[in-house]
Amino acid sequence: MSERPTAQELVEAIQEFLGGEILPTLSDHRLRFRMLVAMNALGIVYRELAALPVVDDEEERELARRIRAGDVQPGMLRHVKADVEARLRVASPGFLEKYS
Amino acid sequence: MIAEMREALQAVIGGDVSEPVLLAGGASKEAWAVDAGGEKLLVRRAAVGVIHRHTLSLADEFAVLEAAYAAGVKAPKPLQYIPNLAGREAFVMERLEGETIGRRIVQKDELAAARDALPVQMAEELAKIHAIPASRVAFLPNAQLERMVEELDEVGEPHPAIELGLWWLRENRPPERDPVVVHGDYRIGNLVIGEQGLVGVLDWEFAHLDDPVRDLAFALVRAWRFGVPEKRLGGVGPVEPYLERYNELTGFEVQPSELDYWELAGNVGWAIGCLTQMMRHLRGQDRSVELATLGRLGAEVEYEICHLLERASA
Repeated sequence: MSERPTAQELVEAIQEFLGGEILPTLSDHRLRFRMLVAMNALGIVYRELAALPVVDDEEERELARRIRAGDVQPGMLRHVKADVEARLRVASPGFLEKYS
Repeated sequence: MIAEMREALQAVIGGDVSEPVLLAGGASKEAWAVDAGGEKLLVRRAAVGVIHRHTLSLADEFAVLEAAYAAGVKAPKPLQYIPNLAGREAFVMERLEGETIGRRIVQKDELAAARDALPVQMAEELAKIHAIPASRVAFLPNAQLERMVEELDEVGEPHPAIELGLWWLRENRPPERDPVVVHGDYRIGNLVIGEQGLVGVLDWEFAHLDDPVRDLAFALVRAWRFGVPEKRLGGVGPVEPYLERYNELTGFEVQPSELDYWELAGNVGWAIGCLTQMMRHLRGQDRSVELATLGRLGAEVEYEICHLLERASA
């Protein structure tokens, strides 16, 4: 199961935000220094994620193609919902807890 | 740039114009607050970067606002279209006083009476919008449900939950209704709310011709209930008085099942919307953590799609 933005793409977005919008507003030297350290740490995460193998999403693509072609089978919805739930446990666990 | 804008505004409006203040706003349009001659004004101006596909130009949006205002819809009074305001297209309208932030509208104690009044008031304004003569805004495009599929294909990522939603919508389409002028984004967040309720309808850039029930059901989409999911109409109240008043005024005899259908369609559209917004970030048109994160939060909408599909097949 793949997901966009990937973790690496999210880290990249945060790096740009911190470097482009927050860092220039920091006048306190200690804070500036610690921000640079934090951005360095994010750089480590970014490169470590870059070294991971690319996630294979062929199964999902095939399922999406089948549904588009009208090949919808009983049980498919339950399977798809379980998949969405797994993604939500990462992306938005609070939403799942409160869902009613 | 601000000085240039102020000068240009002074030339158009005349008189003394206060220094424009940029308000927090949408991604594709800027909103500036200015005061001139004792009047509170709002300047809507094109933003840099890529304009959304499928949205109106500011000239057309201004024309729609004029038509709506003339039809008696509660909306900011449109004042002046300006083809070139410091290098970009803009228009000036009245600045309405009230709350527009969804989370506050559903929660604030002092808006409790407003929430009680909103279901009926929202129906009344929408009925007026749907009665605007299409000939008055002849440039408006006709929307098709199929456009959602095109948008999803442009994203190019597999999303079986969205595909299931689209499949169900194809299989269960209610009898077609004659298209009317629709707002296209009629929900809490795009309405100005005061203590007595609805003060004005904002954000007309998605106006087009469409099935009226699609417009009617959009405010039911869970993402626009702002954390109060048990109140199905935008987190402010129940659907029944809204539907009843709308039917009373239009004579359209909309059935609850039609509302269910278009509520699902609204969710499918917003799930795809989350992905298109994310692509604007990933493709470098508009880099932002917010848009990037929206790509992941789309899973919340997909979950709701699954829930609605379960309900529909139960």
